[in-house]
Amino acid sequence: MPKIEVKNITGKVLKDLSLSVGDREILALVGPNGAGKTTLLNVIAGLTDYSGEVLFDGVNMDHVPPHRRGVGYLFQDLALFPHMNVAANIAYGLKIRKYAPAVISERVDELMDALHIAKLRDRFPYNLSGGEKQRVAIARAIAPFQKILLLDEPTANLDAQTAKYFRSELSVFLRRLEITTVFVIHDLLGAEEMADRIAIMHQGSIEQVAAPGDILFRPRTRVVSEFIGMPNILNCDECTVLSTGLVEVRSGSMRLVLPYEGTAMSKLAISPHDIYISDSKPPGPALNRYTGTITEIIPLRTVVRVKVLVDGNELLAELSRETFDEMKLTAGSNVHLIVKLRRLRYFEV
Amino acid sequence: MNFKKLSISVSFAVFALYGALILSLFYYYDGAVFLETLRSSRTLFSIRLSLFTATVSTIIAVIVAIPSAYALSRFRFFGRQLIDTMLELPMIVSPVALGAVVLVFFNTPTGTFIQDHGIRFIFTVYGIFLAQFITTVGIAIRLIKAAMDEIPVRYEEVARTLGASPARAFMTVTLPLCKRGIIASSILTWAKALGEFGATITIAGSMAMKTETIPVAIFMRLASADIEGTVVLVLMLIGIGLGILYGVRLLTGRAVPV
Repeated sequence: MPKIEVKNITGKVLKDLSLSVGDREILALVGPNGAGKTTLLNVIAGLTDYSGEVLFDGVNMDHVPPHRRGVGYLFQDLALFPHMNVAANIAYGLKIRKYAPAVISERVDELMDALHIAKLRDRFPYNLSGGEKQRVAIARAIAPFQKILLLDEPTANLDAQTAKYFRSELSVFLRRLEITTVFVIHDLLGAEEMADRIAIMHQGSIEQVAAPGDILFRPRTRVVSEFIGMPNILNCDECTVLSTGLVEVRSGSMRLVLPYEGTAMSKLAISPHDIYISDSKPPGPALNRYTGTITEIIPLRTVVRVKVLVDGNELLAELSRETFDEMKLTAGSNVHLIVKLRRLRYFEV
Repeated sequence: MNFKKLSISVSFAVFALYGALILSLFYYYDGAVFLETLRSSRTLFSIRLSLFTATVSTIIAVIVAIPSAYALSRFRFFGRQLIDTMLELPMIVSPVALGAVVLVFFNTPTGTFIQDHGIRFIFTVYGIFLAQFITTVGIAIRLIKAAMDEIPVRYEEVARTLGASPARAFMTVTLPLCKRGIIASSILTWAKALGEFGATITIAGSMAMKTETIPVAIFMRLASADIEGTVVLVLMLIGIGLGILYGVRLLTGRAVPV
């Protein structure tokens, strides 16, 4: 599978963008709407005009039309051919490339089994659920033995629960295929789950390309820092695995409980959105709840950021302006904090 | 009366208008004249000529219309608006005027050269093809373009990433997806060609057993005050037209959701 290099790409929203994706690497493109993520995929696929260079394994692709680039593309809207059943959709690229019927049949069966869609063989797209369409579209994109795979929001049409499951399944599947993959995703958490590296895009440029942990713990620019939500980074001084599938982490004199995923950790990231502030003691168990003192108030346009000193750690919390006004918070006042358990992220760095 | 009932009533009123007009024909209907007119070699020739010329000119118009409609639907190019506006010509200029334009053309040196060294269109069957083609091709392009506009470009992009050339993507994806639209457009084009009169009589004339299509035959009967004969031919034209339209509509009724 080839290495992808894009050099000094300019076109539509892209501004002198350069990026390199390694052989068999899975790279996520993350960024706000209008950053140029989908345009970059279209440039790699040859579906849009651009100036600059696109190379696959050092071979210039600029004058190679899309149908000769060998790039599989999962579009966000999936676009399954409505006049073909599932098997015919998957077989389309193989037939176009004139593979022998036996090879086509074997490849279609293999992909349908791998993606658990064998029972959908004769169904038509209008008769499939969002998740089923997603699987069929991925099988179709990969089927003609593509060298590169581009995925535009591969979980956009799924509900949150299904999306999480599908991301982990897709990640395993892509690694097994050993196909160089570039995918667009708007959710940083989703990117972390699937990618070897993450590229943060902003206004047609790449701000930072790094491993998920590095993006989170070492944002290189203000834009990246803003995009990932300027997380609170805590050192993990001690970890104790609890019997209930949880792990208790001590950071200074603060103790947090989070789901244990079987990996060692040295740092912990908590997004400011995921720390709730209350001026009265909240009811319920005392898990991940703290009291602290406000040290600084940073008013922004629609939200207010509040720095709170908790057991020697300074945590940054974010709340809406309305909530802030209701609570009449001032620097020096004592508040209660709740850290949302499922939103904690940790990395072995 | 609610809106639903009102709109249904209006559609029935239109149906009643046409129905009443058709029924009024039976006031002058005479069974013996009907059979006699139907069996006459002149009428049978007109029917055969009309069906043949309408079918051939529809095939030519659709063959020309498919690539033109695709270009207008998918690409932005210099002169696109101009072409699009020109397609309205058969709708805004009466067929007689279009026929007159053709006659004038064939009286220019270029037209005379074509007549003398190529195909003779004036007062021949080729003139009927030409008359029907120029009055229907613009409409055929418009209708087929509307059908193609309904098919997202995305399907072709997918096909291209799967290895299909632009032509192959068109043939294997876009064309099958707008098949119903093309068939419907062809039927309407054919119906318009079958009923074409103004341009036909101007270019091809009204020679019995040579260039007399059904609409021209109706005009000739009417001009000679043969009301019963006119009624018979009108009923035939209506019967052939509606019968074929309804039959094809039944055959192509299955929908493919896009």
